Amino acid sequence: MSSVAHGDTVMNKERRDFIRKAGLGVLAGICATSGFLPAFSLEETILPAWDEKPVPGKIRWGMVIDTRKCLGECNECVARCHHVHNVPDFGNRKDEVKWIWKSGYGNVFPTSTSQFRSSEVLQRSYLALCNHCAEAPCTRACPTEATFKRWDGIVSMDYHRCIGCRFCMAACPYGSRSFNWRDPREGIKEASVDYPTREQGVVEKCNFCSDRLTKGMLPACVESCPEKALVFGDLNDPNSDVRALLESNSTMQRKPELGTKPSVFYII
Amino acid sequence: MIEKALKGNRNYWLWIASLLAVITAGIVSYNSQRWFGLTVTGMGRDVSWGLYIAQFTFLVGVAASAVMVVLPYYLHNRKEFSKTVIIGEFMAVSATLMCLLFILADMGRPDRVLNVLLYPSPHAMVFWDVMVLNGYFMINLVSGWTVLGAERRGVPPPSWVKPIIYLSIPWAVSIHTVTAFLYAGLPGRHLWLTAVLAPRFLASAFAAGTSLLILVTLVIKRTTGFDTGSDAREKLAVIVTYAGIVNFFLLGTEFFTAFYSNVPSHMHSLQYLFFGLEGHYSLVPFMWFSLLLGLGSLVVLLLPGMKRSPKWLAAACSGLVVSIWIDKGAGLILGGFVPSPLEEIVDYQPTLTEVGVTLGIWAIGLLVLTLLLKVAVSVKSQE
Amino acid sequence: MRIKRNILFIAIPALLVFAVIGFLLQSGNAVETPGAPPPPVAVDSTKCIAQTEYMRSNHMKVLNEWRHSSVREGNRVYTAHNGSRFQKSLNTCLGCHSNKLFCFNCHMYANVKPKCWNCHLSPMETP
Repeated sequence: MSSVAHGDTVMNKERRDFIRKAGLGVLAGICATSGFLPAFSLEETILPAWDEKPVPGKIRWGMVIDTRKCLGECNECVARCHHVHNVPDFGNRKDEVKWIWKSGYGNVFPTSTSQFRSSEVLQRSYLALCNHCAEAPCTRACPTEATFKRWDGIVSMDYHRCIGCRFCMAACPYGSRSFNWRDPREGIKEASVDYPTREQGVVEKCNFCSDRLTKGMLPACVESCPEKALVFGDLNDPNSDVRALLESNSTMQRKPELGTKPSVFYII
Repeated sequence: MIEKALKGNRNYWLWIASLLAVITAGIVSYNSQRWFGLTVTGMGRDVSWGLYIAQFTFLVGVAASAVMVVLPYYLHNRKEFSKTVIIGEFMAVSATLMCLLFILADMGRPDRVLNVLLYPSPHAMVFWDVMVLNGYFMINLVSGWTVLGAERRGVPPPSWVKPIIYLSIPWAVSIHTVTAFLYAGLPGRHLWLTAVLAPRFLASAFAAGTSLLILVTLVIKRTTGFDTGSDAREKLAVIVTYAGIVNFFLLGTEFFTAFYSNVPSHMHSLQYLFFGLEGHYSLVPFMWFSLLLGLGSLVVLLLPGMKRSPKWLAAACSGLVVSIWIDKGAGLILGGFVPSPLEEIVDYQPTLTEVGVTLGIWAIGLLVLTLLLKVAVSVKSQE
Repeated sequence: MRIKRNILFIAIPALLVFAVIGFLLQSGNAVETPGAPPPPVAVDSTKCIAQTEYMRSNHMKVLNEWRHSSVREGNRVYTAHNGSRFQKSLNTCLGCHSNKLFCFNCHMYANVKPKCWNCHLSPMETP
C-alpha cells in the first residue's frame, strides 16, 4: 500500500474512504506492487463486496486546483502524468498529444473576466486537463460510444473501439483531446510499465487516472504536486476534501456558460 | 445495361485512362497515409479536420441538389426535366459515394468503420449521417437505374419505384440537414453553433449542386451531342439564382448577428476568415475571392440576356461552384477550428499527400459518374 | 521426384516445429510461481479461470468480455466455476502464464496476428 502517498497519517479515515470508493480493498495492494510484472497469480484473493457492477452516478470524481499554490516554473504534474501514461512527445505542435498542460489565463478562461484583473493573476499559468464534464459534449458526439461517461463520473476512452473520426475533438470546448496522428511509440522516450500505450489513429485524453484509482492510488498529477495544489475526491460526498474546498473558497469552472458542468474547479 | 459503358470512342477511353491514373496516384498517397498515419496531412491537434471533411460537406450538397430536378419532374410533372432527371440522380449517386470515401479517408482507424453499425449511437449525429447517406446512395441508384432500364425496354417503370422516388425528395433535404447538425450542435465552435447553418447548407447546395448539374449537361452536350434541352437549363439557372441569393443573404445574417451583438467569440472566426486575426491572414484572399466571385456570378445570372448564352451560363455556374466550394469547404471547416478552444490561432495548409488522396477520390467519383452517364446517354439516345 | 523431395524438405522442419510448439504449449499451461518448486505434471485446474479446452478456443472471447465489463461497466472481478475469484486484467493472465512465449508460439503457429501488443506491453518487453 506504499503507493498511496497522501497526507501524513498512515491510514486516516479519508484515505480509507478513498480506497473503498476507488473500488479496491485487498486487491489494491497486490496490484500496486505487481504492476505489469507477471510475477504471481491472483487467484483466491479475498475480495470485499464491491465486485458487483457499481451503482452509476453514486460517485462523481472531481478535482480542485488551487492556482495560488501552483508554481510558475514547476512542471512536475505534467511530467509525471505523461510519463505514467506513456504520452508521446514528438516536439512539434501538429502531432502533439497532451493530457494535462499549463496555459495562460486568457487561454484557459477565455470567457472569464480579465479586465482590471491583477497582473499577478493574469501572468500565472493555469493547468488545463479534461474536465470530465457531467454533461460531456464529446460523449454525445461519439458515434461508437468509444468515449463514454463512466459510473463514477469519469469520461473514459475505449481505445479498442475508437474509429478515429475526431468528432469528440471538434465537440470538446476545452481542447482536451489529442489524436494519435502517428505511431505514439516513436515518441515515448522512457516507457512506463503502468499503463499501455495507444495506437496510431485513435483519440486519447486524461482519464482522471482511472488506472490508478483501481489500485487505490491518487491521480499521478495530484500525487506529484510538491505544493499540494491539486486535491482530488468525490464531488457527491458532502464530507469530502474537494467539497470542503469548494465550500470555503470562491472557485471557477472553465466556460461554465456552455452547460457542460465540468468536474475540475479552480481557486484563483 | 452496364455493357453500354464499355463502348466508347477514343476520347472516352482517354478520359477513363486519365481518371484511372489519378486514382492510382490517390491510392499511392492513401497507402502512405495508412502507413505513416494522418500526420502526413496538414491536420493537427488544433485544426483536426481539413480538406477531406471540407470536400465531404461540399459533396453532400451536390448530392442533395438532385432533388431540384426530381421534385419538379415527378411531383409537378414538368416534362422539360425528363432528360435531366437521370443525370441529377446519377450525380447524386457519385457525390454520395465520394462523401462516404472522404469520411473513410479522414478516419484514423478505417478498419473499424463497422463499429458505427455494431454500436449504434442515436445520440451521435455521425450515426444518423452514415444512415441517411447510405440510404440516399441506394435510393438514387435503385430509382435511377430502374427507370432507365424500363426506358431501354420501352416499358413504363415498375410501380414500386414511384414511392422510392418520392422518398428521395425529403431524404435529400435530410442528408444536408443532418450534415449541418454534425457541426451545428457542438458547443464552443461558434462559427458552427448557429441555427441558420442547416438552411444555409441547403441554399448553398441548391446553388452549387444545381450549377454543377448545369455544367454536366453542357459537358454531355459537347462530348456526346446529347442535349437535355436549354429550356431545362434555363429553369435550373433560375433555381440556382434564387438559391444563391438566399445563401448570401444567410451569410449576411451571420455577419449581422456576430458583429452587432459584438460577442467576441462569435466574431473571431468571421474576423479570421474575412479580415485576418492577430496577424493571421492566410484565408482572407480566398474568402474575398469566393464572396466576389459568387456575387458576380449571381449578377450574370440575373441579367436575362447573359443567362441564355451557354458560355455566360457556364461561366456563372462555374463561378458559383468555385465560390461555394471555397466558402463551404475551406471557410466553414477551417473557420470552425480557429481560434481553438484555448483561443490560439493555428493555420492549416493541406499537404501533397492529402491533395493526392482528395484528387483520387474525386477521380473515383468522376469515373463512376462517367460510367453511369455513359449508360444513361446510350439508353436515352437509343444507341 | 524433385517435387517429392521438396515436400520432404518442408515437411520435416514443419513436423519439428510442430513438436516443439506442442511441447511449449504443454509447458505453457502449467502454473509457475517464482520461488516455488517446479509445478507437478498434473495441472491444478482450481487455479485456472476455466477449462483448458475451453480457453484454447475461447480465450479471445473471454478477454473481450473481461475488457468490456471491467472498462465499461466497472465490474472488475471474475468468479470462476469453482468459486475462485480473479481480477479481470491481462495481468491476471500473464501472471499465471508467465512463460514469455506463451502467446506468441501458438499465435505464430496458427498464423493469427492479434493487435494486443500494439498498445499493451508484451511479455517479451517486460523485465
